[in-house]
Amino acid sequence: MNPANIRTLVLLALTGMAFALSGCATTTADCSLPRTASLDVAMEAAEARLADGCEAEFDRYYAELLEIAEGDPGPENKRRFSEFLLAATDRGLLSTRQAERAYNRYFNVKYVSLMGDYNNCAYTCPRKRQVLTEMEAELLDKERGLLRVSQDAAGYYRADRLFQETELVLEATCTACGAP
Amino acid sequence: MEPTNRTGTGAAAGSRAPRDRAAFRYYLAATLALIVLPALSFGKTAPTIQLFPTTVLEDIRQTGTVAAEMETGLQEAIGRLDQQRRLYQEAKCEGAGDDPGCQRIAKQLGATYLEMLNIMSERLPDMERAVNNTHASLERRLRSELGNKMTSWTLQETLLGVGEDRARESAPVLRGRSGIRLSQRFQQYYRLVATSSVNRNAHSLAVIASDMYLDMAEASDLIARTREEIARATLMEQLNQSFGVITPEMQEVVDGVKAILFGDYEAGPTVSAPPPGTFEEEYTSPLEF
Repeated sequence: MNPANIRTLVLLALTGMAFALSGCATTTADCSLPRTASLDVAMEAAEARLADGCEAEFDRYYAELLEIAEGDPGPENKRRFSEFLLAATDRGLLSTRQAERAYNRYFNVKYVSLMGDYNNCAYTCPRKRQVLTEMEAELLDKERGLLRVSQDAAGYYRADRLFQETELVLEATCTACGAP
Repeated sequence: MEPTNRTGTGAAAGSRAPRDRAAFRYYLAATLALIVLPALSFGKTAPTIQLFPTTVLEDIRQTGTVAAEMETGLQEAIGRLDQQRRLYQEAKCEGAGDDPGCQRIAKQLGATYLEMLNIMSERLPDMERAVNNTHASLERRLRSELGNKMTSWTLQETLLGVGEDRARESAPVLRGRSGIRLSQRFQQYYRLVATSSVNRNAHSLAVIASDMYLDMAEASDLIARTREEIARATLMEQLNQSFGVITPEMQEVVDGVKAILFGDYEAGPTVSAPPPGTFEEEYTSPLEF
């Protein structure tokens, strides 16, 4: 083979490899959050990545931010997460309803799992077990959001009591609904 | 313009009555807008639930009275039973069935036991009726007020006490073995709900009504089973009387009756909540429901 051809081939191969490597590196670097213990830094980075084409990573970012916030807890975290979600709504990444669910599941005493629009006898009672299981799972998220991230112990206790009371009241109400 | 005005002025006397009526209608509309409508909309934000109308209160009071009567009748018999049982144990009669003294104590014990069963069989039908009435009226109210008139969301808001100051109000004691007499329990229930319109909020009432309803269901079931057992227990004891035997079953029944009527329960430890007012003002997100 002609040495000039060999040189051309090697050059082409190297260029191709360089493109491939740079392409992979760009994708990974752009969508990953920096390793940081500061919630503000992590939130800023997440907002920048989301604006930069990493919208699909929203759920992962939210989970990572909660994890970072657990190491950086405080009552002001409620506001930070609320603002983060509102910004995501403004950019069209989330609908208002999605943002509300994401916020209230972690940071509000009220349960997203108890959002039925029909009367309890007809709608809630036939799926009582499922509703209570979902509430129990949500209580764990509230423990994380209210207690560990926001240090709102009073809010968490209210949510816990609300779960217990709902369980009792639903048991009685659904028995009454099912009675002849 | 002028003729029209003149015509209007000329017709003023004749049209006074209609104009007064119109003014009255405006006044009425303004009153509605300023007073009645806000009151109605307030009613919407703070729904009132009718869980304890007078009929339910009367049923609860009646059940308490019947329970008190039954307790009074049984107290004396159970006290004597306890005494005789202690005597039997102190005399080391267990395993000494042939001893004439022990046989006499055992027979007395059996006779008192039969007396207790008789009192129960006499009083239980009244008790059962009273409990069932309370249960049925609570069932109707729960089905209508919490089951058919509320969604899971409004129920949640009621339990949380939207717009009510929960912190100042102590939480109602939830269901469980209270360790108190049955009649006292009903007295407590009565006091809780009878004063409710003054100082209890809807969320507490929903919890109290549910608690009471489930309690009544258990009591009703227990009474029905006890009534079924009494005839059998009476027959067994009449047979035992011939031999003067104290059976473990007999002891169990007495302990059961004492537990139900006089609340000889071991109450579990309670977990305390943090003291109110120790936390900072909460942030309210615009996303919050």
